Amino acid sequence: MSIFGLFRKQQSAPMARERLQVLLAHERASASTDLVAVLREEILAVIARHVEIDSDKVHIKIDRDENVSILEIDVEIPLAATAQAA
Amino acid sequence: MTKVLTDARSIRIKGRSFLAVVLSPDLPVDEWLTRLDDLASRSAGFFLGRPVVLDVTDLEINRTQLMELIGELSNRNVSIMGIEGARPSILGPGMPPALKGGRPVSDEAVAKEPIIELRNSDVKPAAPEARAVLQSLVIREPVRSGQSVIFPEGDVTVIGSVASGAEIIAGGSVHIYGALRGRAMAGSIGNTAARIFCRKLEAELVAIDGIYKMAEDMAPGLRGQPVQCWLEGEAIMAETLI
Amino acid sequence: MGKVIVVTSGKGGVGKTTSTAALGAALAQRNERVVVVDFDVGLRNLDLVMGAERRVVYDLINVIQGEAKLSQALIRDKRLETLFLLPASQTRDKNNLTAEGVERVITELKRVFDWVICDSPAGIESGATHAMRHADVAVVVTNPEVSSVRDSDRIIGLLDAKTVKAERGERMEKHLLLTRYDASRAERGDMLKVDDVLEILSIPLLGIIPESMDVLRASNLGSPVTLADARSAPAMAYFDAARRLAGEALPITIPGEKRGIFDKIFGRKAA
Repeated sequence: MSIFGLFRKQQSAPMARERLQVLLAHERASASTDLVAVLREEILAVIARHVEIDSDKVHIKIDRDENVSILEIDVEIPLAATAQAA
Repeated sequence: MTKVLTDARSIRIKGRSFLAVVLSPDLPVDEWLTRLDDLASRSAGFFLGRPVVLDVTDLEINRTQLMELIGELSNRNVSIMGIEGARPSILGPGMPPALKGGRPVSDEAVAKEPIIELRNSDVKPAAPEARAVLQSLVIREPVRSGQSVIFPEGDVTVIGSVASGAEIIAGGSVHIYGALRGRAMAGSIGNTAARIFCRKLEAELVAIDGIYKMAEDMAPGLRGQPVQCWLEGEAIMAETLI
Repeated sequence: MGKVIVVTSGKGGVGKTTSTAALGAALAQRNERVVVVDFDVGLRNLDLVMGAERRVVYDLINVIQGEAKLSQALIRDKRLETLFLLPASQTRDKNNLTAEGVERVITELKRVFDWVICDSPAGIESGATHAMRHADVAVVVTNPEVSSVRDSDRIIGLLDAKTVKAERGERMEKHLLLTRYDASRAERGDMLKVDDVLEILSIPLLGIIPESMDVLRASNLGSPVTLADARSAPAMAYFDAARRLAGEALPITIPGEKRGIFDKIFGRKAA
């Protein structure tokens, strides 16, 4: 590798360390109870009580960070069900 | 008391001949059993479900010893359907019936299907010509590490290499058109004339009729060379092929 | 119908996961739809190498057990539109991987993707056999080193016996991917030569990936090397390997040597 390469590329080890810290913190925490998984199931159960959920129309995304996990649940509610609720 | 036969049909009694494997033990029986175990360990299931006849012609044993021998064989899942060549004095109730008039048949008829046991049931080599009296097994691909080809009926030819950690066990000779890096055992059921041929000798072990040579016992000059091995007395000889 | 590839080796630590990620990303960069599937249940790492470890919701076991739809478990790569990951479960028992379940998932994936790349766990146990079972093509990852070569030979034997293709009597397509190739060690004669490995394993060569810091850097960053630094030597080698997988005939160059392997065989000079 050329000497310019050393300047061009930032070190990758700190990045690796940070990723592992976040990951392992979550894995250790979720060994007993995976809070996010529990939330996911319960939220879906609540919605299912009111409308019929087509599991194809449910999109769940998660993004874990150092301090927070973001859980996104995207449920498509059919028009008929919306009318009923209104 | 007399029974009145009301049914006019008669009982059908017919003669029929079957093919059986004949085992001829020799003395001392313990050692013979050890050799049998050794053979069985190399080709498990050989006797399973096969009719086996025990030939005790010229064998100096008494009734008790014969009972023990039959017991030992049945422990090894070898069930005896009949006894050949036994003096009437050593036979008794509860023993398989005496047989006589058996005719020898070619080896080919006994082993209809070759016993090829690949430990992981890895490759299934092409079935040999059923009609040939002397059988040959030809494997057209490399024999990989962990695979084991066992063919007591005759010669094994491999068109390809035999990897380190693989083994070929043949009743006849072993021919390898490639590098021999694993183990080759020829004449495995007592054939001193069997030989091992390979295009490139890098074997872990070669054996003929139970006499073996490890890699470190082989002359360094032979390594990597086309070589043939044969048996002279109790020693394995080896020389380069042209 | 997509093609199913298993990336396997027998031995651990030779570069299966790295190669799965790199080849997957390389094929996706050709605008083909690719999914990389992690079969290492309990010891998943493909998510880390792909940089998707924070985004795993459902996994392969969830799909097999019917707890999630396949579409919910697939994670789309943030950099490449056509690249997806199906992660393995980290917490569940690997016995949950059933033959029927794996078959169903692979069949479904084949319908949607051009390439289904299965990252096999090390060893020859059930995880590895599940990963190879439905493959059309096997990429055998090998280091130029004796134990790796022998383990690869063992795996090639299993590929010829325990796959659906082999059981049907069809020929399993197998390719050798030589990884962690160190040109300077080869020059000193301290490493098995490419020709030696090829002669021993007797399967065609897909590519030679040079040992490189770029591979380590890429996995530190959570990016397949073909994405992290597309102009690096290992990335170029993976791009070529991907093109060969896609059916292109390219000459193979041994790293550190100016001439291609074919020139070498014919003993011709470049001019």
